[in-house]
Amino acid sequence: MKELRAVIVRELKQMFARPLYIFSSVVIMAVSVTFFLSLMKEGTPEKMPIAVVDHDHSSISRRFVHEMNATQSVEVVAVVSSYAEARDMLQRGHIYGFMELPERFYADLASQRRPTVSFYISHAYTVGASTAYKQMLTMVNLASGAFQREILRMKGMNEGQIMNIIQPIVLEGHFIANPWSSYPIYLLSTIIPGILGVVIVMLTVFSIGYELKTSTSPQWLETAGGNFAIAIIGKMLPYTLLFLVLGLGCNALLFHFMHFPVMGSYWGLANNMIAFVLAEQCLAVFFIGLLPTLRDAISLGALYSMLSFSLSGFTYPKMGMLPFVQALTNIFPLRHYYVNYVYEALMGASFVQCIPQYVAYFIFMTLPFFIFKRLHGAMINLNFPKK
Amino acid sequence: MARFTNYILTGVDDIWHVFTQELLRIVRDPGIILIFFVAGLGYPILYNLIYWNDTLTDVPVAVVDDDASVYSRRFLHKWEATPDVKIAYICQSMQEAELLMKQQKIHGILYIPSDFSRQIETAGGQAHLSLYADMSSFLYMKAVYMSANMVMIDEMHHIQIDRYERLGMDDETAWTLVQGVPYEEVNLFVPSAGYSSFLVPAMLIMIIHQTLFFGVGMLAGTAREENKTLFFIPGRKRRRSVFRITFGRALAYFIVYMAISAIDLLIVPRLFHLPHVGNSWDILAFTIPFLLAAIFFSMTISLCVRNRETGMVTLVATTLIVFFISGVSWPQAALPTGWLYLSYLIPATWGINGFVHINTMGATLAQASTEINALWTLAALWFVTASVGLWLSGYLHDKRQELSTK
Repeated sequence: MKELRAVIVRELKQMFARPLYIFSSVVIMAVSVTFFLSLMKEGTPEKMPIAVVDHDHSSISRRFVHEMNATQSVEVVAVVSSYAEARDMLQRGHIYGFMELPERFYADLASQRRPTVSFYISHAYTVGASTAYKQMLTMVNLASGAFQREILRMKGMNEGQIMNIIQPIVLEGHFIANPWSSYPIYLLSTIIPGILGVVIVMLTVFSIGYELKTSTSPQWLETAGGNFAIAIIGKMLPYTLLFLVLGLGCNALLFHFMHFPVMGSYWGLANNMIAFVLAEQCLAVFFIGLLPTLRDAISLGALYSMLSFSLSGFTYPKMGMLPFVQALTNIFPLRHYYVNYVYEALMGASFVQCIPQYVAYFIFMTLPFFIFKRLHGAMINLNFPKK
Repeated sequence: MARFTNYILTGVDDIWHVFTQELLRIVRDPGIILIFFVAGLGYPILYNLIYWNDTLTDVPVAVVDDDASVYSRRFLHKWEATPDVKIAYICQSMQEAELLMKQQKIHGILYIPSDFSRQIETAGGQAHLSLYADMSSFLYMKAVYMSANMVMIDEMHHIQIDRYERLGMDDETAWTLVQGVPYEEVNLFVPSAGYSSFLVPAMLIMIIHQTLFFGVGMLAGTAREENKTLFFIPGRKRRRSVFRITFGRALAYFIVYMAISAIDLLIVPRLFHLPHVGNSWDILAFTIPFLLAAIFFSMTISLCVRNRETGMVTLVATTLIVFFISGVSWPQAALPTGWLYLSYLIPATWGINGFVHINTMGATLAQASTEINALWTLAALWFVTASVGLWLSGYLHDKRQELSTK
């Protein structure tokens, strides 16, 4: 016990001796959280720039533009008179899409000759394009509906009859746990723990690797009374505490203060975070044990961590990946974090669903045992290159 | 005149000296080889493998059909026929379907109530359908909801035509009423509207930018650890030599990364069928200011790196910020003003947008002039900061030594 306390005290001194430790954990997390929450504060992107190619120049085409501008999601930044001009704006990245109103649009509409409207979008910027497309589609369907309503009214139908004849089927969309289809809920609930995962791997590898690099590991081991387990646990504990405070703090921020949906329990989400933090720490110990040269382990940790965002499957789902890539997703704790988050926060599923992910976390936690001898040897003999 | 010629000659000689030295440091360092070449060339392939399928198809869904009529079956047939979904379960009750959703075996549920056909057949009736969409990924929601919505609109037109014809209208008049303003949609440049077509071209620039950034940081940190005065050419006045050193080192990175960029930006898109309608020479011409801006940006930031590893330890986590601030995933038009101005200082922002415009949308260099001019400006700005910063760090180093010898 005395040795454990000595190692912890020694580590705390190191943590505060250089600004690097606090900077790369607390400051980086604070900056990331502030950045992403302020970036997506509106939930869905607003006022996406689009253009209208108006070949008609009538009162109805001007009303189209006016009504588009009255919506939240798009803004008509230019009304141009040729397709080439609008396409040029798209290629320059000034707009995400445009709409072409044909010549004689008003006249054809009035004489029931069904003028065709065209939408052009570029999925090179898929979020802007989807938003623009949805709004243009809604506008045209509204226009069709308004036209229909006008004709039926002239035929002497009442409003109730008109409503049902215009819309004989209604599709009611129920968006489970995220009725606003809000982007922060899709993205940040996994991006923020993902960034924490990167921080954990980098800082853990650094804190052990730096001892090997500067040849202070024999002294570290001595503080632990020569006991390897005490040396590792004592060194890790202050960080475990720090990461848990950061992780559970992010949980509280997202699920409590930002009101992200929680269909299950806060406890379930807290357990998921705790297991995730421990799994990431153990994985990082495994990395530095595998490659006891600081710079190699840091590179490995960095290259590995950056892949976790794509392979956790929260943006592009796992089911759409190639079979061997699907298998690869399992080697990232973030994947298991995301799956449990979906069960707990969005589905309110029973704990049974989360068990496989907890088993996976547990396997990550056993990884340090596989490199125990190698790391112990490196700490005593310092037999790995330092530069 | 002779003095001037001499000045130029020693300048070139110094730059050559620094340039060759830096090239040797790159190829002799396994850590740098790993970042520049293995990651710089391997990541593009890896990301293409991850997003191999481009679009999400056959998302499993369940249906609860309490109506079991001709109409409900027609709806389900049409839905099943879309590429987006696959009806994996036909459930007897909503409870059963909800359980499947909670187990994530399906990502959408369509409920057809028992009065569906009756409402359709009644002259003024309105039939209701309920769709439950899994929101755990945006792409699930999009696949399930958009496809069901398309089928619904199609069915709606059918029913409306039936009703109008029953009112004694001919087909032509009925269609005029049903869809007074028909539309056609065109996906310009990215016909598949797929995920990898959108994300991976931007990632290619991101990979070049970030590997360069961390590699340069690592080289600077190593130089500091080995020899604090390595930054200066012996026998030269420092005021002159800072520019030569900055330029010489940058030239080494530039040569290496022109080769890597040519592979990543020209060959990879063709190999993996990413969009690539841009002119190859235009892409190479665009790469020049992008690389210079990225190199001098990295060299400036690397002045703060004390050890070989510290740059990576502290800044790897900011990669996500660099990516999101560039305006590809989250539209630039929705970026808060403060972040927008910050994004202007990062070469990746202009690099990603310019490359997407040229490569994916076939913009000419003239159309990408905003990005190109911005990159040249950044290259100049970051070159000055890198040189002045280097001079300053040498000056401070000398001051410290003076103090310690006193």
